[in-house]
Amino acid sequence: MKCLLLANESAEVLFYWTDTEFEQRVQEQYGVSQEEGERLPAFEDSINTLFAPIIISCSTMVDRLGDNYTSFSTENNHIYVLHQFEECLYIAVNGDGDETEEDLKRKIFVMKKLTEIMFGMVTFSGALLRKELRPQDTEQRNRLWKKLRSLLETYSRLRENDQSFLVEAVERLIHPTLCEQCIEFLERRLVQQINSNMDRMGEEVLHAFILVHTKLLAFYSSRNASNLYSSDLLALIILVQDLYPSKINLDETSEELESSSVPEVFYTPEPSPPERESVRQRGDSPPVFQFVDPDVQMAEDSLQTLEAPTPDPSAPSRVFLESKECPMPHSMYCLPLWPGITLVLLTKIPNSHVATSVCYFLEAFVKLEKRLCEGHEGAAAMRGQPSVQEQRSRLEKLIKTWAGMDIQTSQLQNAWTDFKNKAFSRSGSGFTRDLLPSCRNMKTQLCGVYRQFFAAECMGSSQRLAPHLQERALSMVQEKLMDWKDFLLVKSKRNITMVWSLVATAQRYLQKGYATVTLRDGDYFYCYFLWFENETGYKLEVIDIPSSPDDGAPVGMLTCDYYRKLLRYYSKKHQNEVVKCYELFTVHLGVIPNEYILQHCSQLARKLWEPTRIPLL
Amino acid sequence: KITLPPLTNSFFFLYDSSKVQEEVDLTRDGIYYFSPEDTPIDQQELLCGQLAGVCRCVSELSSSPVRLLHLRKSKYAVRMKDKFLWALSCVVDIPDVSVCDLLDQLIALFCFYNGPVRQSYQLYSKQELALRWARYLCHLQGGSTELHHIFSCLRTIDSTHIDPLLLLKAALILQACQRCPLVLAGCILYRGRVVSTQMPPALTVKVMVYETQTYSQDFQVTANGLSSLVGSPFSSTATTQVFLMPTELHMLRCPPVDRACRSHCNQPPCQPSRSRLLSRTLSDTPTTDTDSSMPSSPRSSLSDELCFSPSPSRVNTPIHSNLMNQSEYFTPDSHVHSTSNGTNLCAVEEHLAGLNINQIKSEENKLDANNHVTNKNGNGETEEEAKTKSKQINRKLKEKNEPTNTPSPHETLEDTSLVPLVLYQHRVKGLVLALLVEPEFITDHSAREEVHHSSLASLNGLEAHLRNTSPGTPGPPGPYTFAHYDCIQNTLTTNVCGRSVGPQDQAFVKATKLVHSHFSRLDTLQEAIVRNASSAVYGTRTTAQETYFLQQGTPVRNSGSPDPQDSAFSLPRKARLRLLKHGVNLL
Repeated sequence: MKCLLLANESAEVLFYWTDTEFEQRVQEQYGVSQEEGERLPAFEDSINTLFAPIIISCSTMVDRLGDNYTSFSTENNHIYVLHQFEECLYIAVNGDGDETEEDLKRKIFVMKKLTEIMFGMVTFSGALLRKELRPQDTEQRNRLWKKLRSLLETYSRLRENDQSFLVEAVERLIHPTLCEQCIEFLERRLVQQINSNMDRMGEEVLHAFILVHTKLLAFYSSRNASNLYSSDLLALIILVQDLYPSKINLDETSEELESSSVPEVFYTPEPSPPERESVRQRGDSPPVFQFVDPDVQMAEDSLQTLEAPTPDPSAPSRVFLESKECPMPHSMYCLPLWPGITLVLLTKIPNSHVATSVCYFLEAFVKLEKRLCEGHEGAAAMRGQPSVQEQRSRLEKLIKTWAGMDIQTSQLQNAWTDFKNKAFSRSGSGFTRDLLPSCRNMKTQLCGVYRQFFAAECMGSSQRLAPHLQERALSMVQEKLMDWKDFLLVKSKRNITMVWSLVATAQRYLQKGYATVTLRDGDYFYCYFLWFENETGYKLEVIDIPSSPDDGAPVGMLTCDYYRKLLRYYSKKHQNEVVKCYELFTVHLGVIPNEYILQHCSQLARKLWEPTRIPLL
Repeated sequence: KITLPPLTNSFFFLYDSSKVQEEVDLTRDGIYYFSPEDTPIDQQELLCGQLAGVCRCVSELSSSPVRLLHLRKSKYAVRMKDKFLWALSCVVDIPDVSVCDLLDQLIALFCFYNGPVRQSYQLYSKQELALRWARYLCHLQGGSTELHHIFSCLRTIDSTHIDPLLLLKAALILQACQRCPLVLAGCILYRGRVVSTQMPPALTVKVMVYETQTYSQDFQVTANGLSSLVGSPFSSTATTQVFLMPTELHMLRCPPVDRACRSHCNQPPCQPSRSRLLSRTLSDTPTTDTDSSMPSSPRSSLSDELCFSPSPSRVNTPIHSNLMNQSEYFTPDSHVHSTSNGTNLCAVEEHLAGLNINQIKSEENKLDANNHVTNKNGNGETEEEAKTKSKQINRKLKEKNEPTNTPSPHETLEDTSLVPLVLYQHRVKGLVLALLVEPEFITDHSAREEVHHSSLASLNGLEAHLRNTSPGTPGPPGPYTFAHYDCIQNTLTTNVCGRSVGPQDQAFVKATKLVHSHFSRLDTLQEAIVRNASSAVYGTRTTAQETYFLQQGTPVRNSGSPDPQDSAFSLPRKARLRLLKHGVNLL
C-alpha cells in the first residue's frame, strides 16, 4: 500500500501516485461513507479530501510553531513521511512494510530531484511549479502525470533490483581496452562529426556516453562542457531506463552466467525476486481517474486513443543539469543501439546562456527578499550585491533583448516597472518591507521567462538535431560495438541483485557520524567502512564526520550529493590534495572468526583500488 | 507566532475528542490534562487541536491508531483509545521505543491507582486528577540519568556495596508474608529503590509510585521537624486500592512455578545459561534459542520454559512495550536484583524535595478517600474506616455512572477488565514493604496482624543494616564506560555517573541510543560495533540482556579503512573481561 503526493500550501494536490492497493483502500473508505446510489467521487477528489487535514495542519504548525511534521507511524506500522520544500509539501505513505521511513524520505527527495531535472529553475516558483505540474488541460496533465508516475516506478524498480541504485553510485563496466577505445571513438569520430555538421540546428554535443543497462561503458565530455555531476548522471540513467526498460530475465541471466567460463566469477548472485508485475502494471492499465461528468469521460476516452501515438523517436527530452551557476537546460537524445545498450547525447541548446543571466537576477531578488524579510532596509538590504544602479541598467538591457527574442515579456516588463516605481522613485516605498510583493513578483516573472525559453513544449518541436544526424550517430556506434554487444550484455549482468539491508543501516549510522560499523545479525556478519585517500592511494587520517539532523537529506548521491559535501568538508583539512572517499560493504558468514573477516576486508580494500585507474569522467 | 518553552521540558497531554465534536465546542473543553501546566491555554489548544486532528486523519486513513509523531524539533509518543488521545513529547534523539514505553508506563500508572480513565474522570474533577498525572509524570521523568530513560528501567539499590545476605533476608521476608494466602506478591524498597521484588517489573514500577509518595510525606514531616509528631511512627502501615490488568492478576494468582519450590529459586532462572552470541551454529536464531538454552536445568519444567520464551509479539511489532511484553513471560519469583550504582539516589531525593509536597499532600488528604495512612497503633479503628470508605466509593461510583449514557461496548470492556486489589504498605523509616493483597485483607484483622507481626522485627533489622551500609562512594571511574540492561528484571547496571557527563560519556550515550534503537527494530541483531574518529562503542544483546561498552581514551588513530589492528575490534574481548567483575557475564 503505497502513495506519494505533492501538494501546495492551499492544499491543492499537484501530483500523486498510488499503487492499486492504496487506490482500493481509498475507494473502499469512500464506498462506505457514500449514500446508497450515490456515485463515488473522482479518485483525485478523494485523495484531496483525505489528505487535506494533514496538509492544512502542516501549514498551521509552520506558521504558529515554526515546526513541522516529519513523520507519523501507526500501530499497524503504516508510515507517513512528510517533507516541505519551499511552498511544496511532499507526503509519502507506506502500509505494506516494504519501505522504511528512510526509504520514503529518499523517495521524496528523488521525486524532488526528478522535478528539478525536468523543470529546472521553474521549481523555484510555487505558482509556476503548480502550473507546470498541474496543467489546466486534462489531456496534458494526464500525459505529464503518467510520465512522472512511470519515472517514480522506474526508480523504485531500480532501487530494488539494481545495486548501483541501492548504493547510488554509477557502476562501470570494467574493460580497460574497450573503454579507452570507445572514449576515443566518441571524441574523435562521433562528437566531432556532429558538432561540425550544419544540420545540428544550433545544438552542440557536450557529453556523450554509452550505457549497458544501468552500467556505464564509456563517457566523454567535450572540452568546453561543464562537469556532469554524479547525481545528475544517476537521474539521467533513470530517464533512460524509463524510456528503454531493461527486461531482466533472470533465467537467461543465470544460464549465461553458467555458460560463461570466466574464472574470476567467485560470487554467484542469489536470484532476486522476479520483477514485480504489479509495479509495471500501471503503464498499461487505464488511468485511475473516474470522471463523473460524461463529457469529461468522453474526453478521457478520446485521450486514450490520443495517448497511444508512438512517441516521436527523434525528439529529445529536455533536462536541466546542475552547473556552478544554475540549472542549465540541455537536450537529451537516447539512441537505443540494441535492447539494453543505449547511446546518450547531451547537447547545449540555443540561448542557453539566457539561463545564466535569468538565474543571476533571480538570485539577486531572492537575496533581496531574504534581507527585507530579516528587517534590513535601504542600502543594508542590498548589502553583498553589486551596485544597484549597475544591476538596474543590466536588467533593463536584458529585458529589452528578451523582448526582441520572440517571447512574451509584457508581464515581466510590468512587474519591473512596478518594482522600479516602488524601489527607486520618490513616491515609492524604497527598499523596505513594502517592496516584498514586487520582489516576489519579479521572481515569478523571471522564472516565467526562463520557462518560456526552455520548457520543452515552449521550444517548438523543430528544435533538435536533424534525424539523419541521429541515425548516423546510431549506426556508427552500432558498427563500432557490433562484435562486443553480446559480451557487454553478459558482463553487465554479473554481480547484480544483492539487496542488502546493510546499506540502509550503514547510511543511517553514517548520518550520525559513524564511519565504521560491524554487525552480527542472524547468521551473518556485516561490515561497513568509509575512509579517505589521496590520489596516489595513500590512506588519510580519519576525521569526525558531522552528524546530520533527522530531517535532512538522506545519505546518498542521487538526491543531494552527500558525498560531494563530505569531500568538501574533508578537503578543508587537506587543501593541497585531491581527496577521494571510499566505502566498503561486506557480508560474511557469522561462523567465520572476526579476525579473518577483518583481514579479508582489509585485503579487499587494497585490491579494490587497482581497477579504478581506468580513465573516466 | 508563539514561542514554546525549550523542549527539554517535554509536553504531555490527555485530550478527549468526544468533548469537541461540534463547531461551537471549544478545544479547551477536550483538554483533560496538559503539562507543563503553566503553558498558556492558546498554546495548549493549538497543540492539542492540531495533533488530535492530524492523528485522527491519519488513523482513519490507515484504520489504525497513531503511535508516533515526529516533528523536526521534537517527537511525540501517542496513544489513542476510546476518543482519548495521550501524547508525550521528548527531544528527537531519544529512541522511539523509549518514549513509547514511557507513555505506556504513564498511562498504566494512572490506571493502576485510579482504574479506567473514563470512570476516573466521572468520579473526580480534572483538577484533582491533574495532581495525580503530575505526580506520575514526575515519578517517571525525574531523578534518573538519560540511560535510565532510554531503557525505562527500575531503580534498584547498589548491590555491590551491600552484604548479599541482606538481599537474601529481604527475599525471605517477602516469602514469609506469602504464608498468608491473601498476600499475592510483594516487594521491598529502600529510599525509592528496589531491594527485592516478587512482582514483574511493570508492577514494581507502579507500586513504587505509592512508596515515593508516602516517603515524600514522611520526608516533609522530618524536614519540618514538627515536634507534635515526635514519637510518631517511623513505622506505619497504609493501604490503597489499586487496579490490575487481568493478565497481571492471573500471573500473581496462578504463578506458573509452584509456590513450594520458590524457596530454592533464588538464582534468577530467567537468564539463559548459555549466551547466544558466542554460538557459531547457523541455526542459532533467537526464536529457537530459548528452547535449547536450558537443556540441563535441573528443575526445568515445561511451564518454566514457556514462561521465558520471548513473547511472539516481539518478533512482529517493531514498536513494542518492553514492560508489557515482559510481564507476559515473567514469573513472580523471588529474585535478588542486580542493581545500578549509587548515582541516582541524590537525584531522587532532590527531585522529591522539588515537588510541591505541601500541595500534593493536602490535596492527597482530601481526595484520597480510598487511600489512607495509619499508625501501627490504630489498626482497629482504621479498618472500620476503610470499610466505610470503600463502600462510599462504590456508592459514589454507582451514582456517577447511572446518569451517564450507556457506554460504548469498547468502554465497558475496558472498565470491567481492570480488577481491584489492595496495595498494603508497611514503612519502617526509609524501608518499605509493599504487598499486593486480595481485597479481603483489609477486613481480615488477623491476617493483617499476622503479616505485620511476622515481618516487623525483620524489617527493623533490615532497615538498620541498610541504613548503616555506607552508600559507597563510587570507585574511581574505570578506563571504560558500560551499561548493562537486564530486559527480564528491567534493571540497569552502569558506571555512567548521572551528573558529571564528560565527552566520552556523551559519546557513549549517543551510540547506546542508536544501537538500542537498532536492537529494538531488528530482533535478529546480536551485536554491533560503531566507531567514529574519537570513540568506539560495542553493543551486544540476548533475549535477556543488552550490554554496551566503551573503552576510554581515543581509539588508536587509523585511516578508517579496514584494519584488523583497529582497537575498536578488540572491544568484545575487553568487554567480556572487564565486565566480569560487575557481575556481567558475556561469555
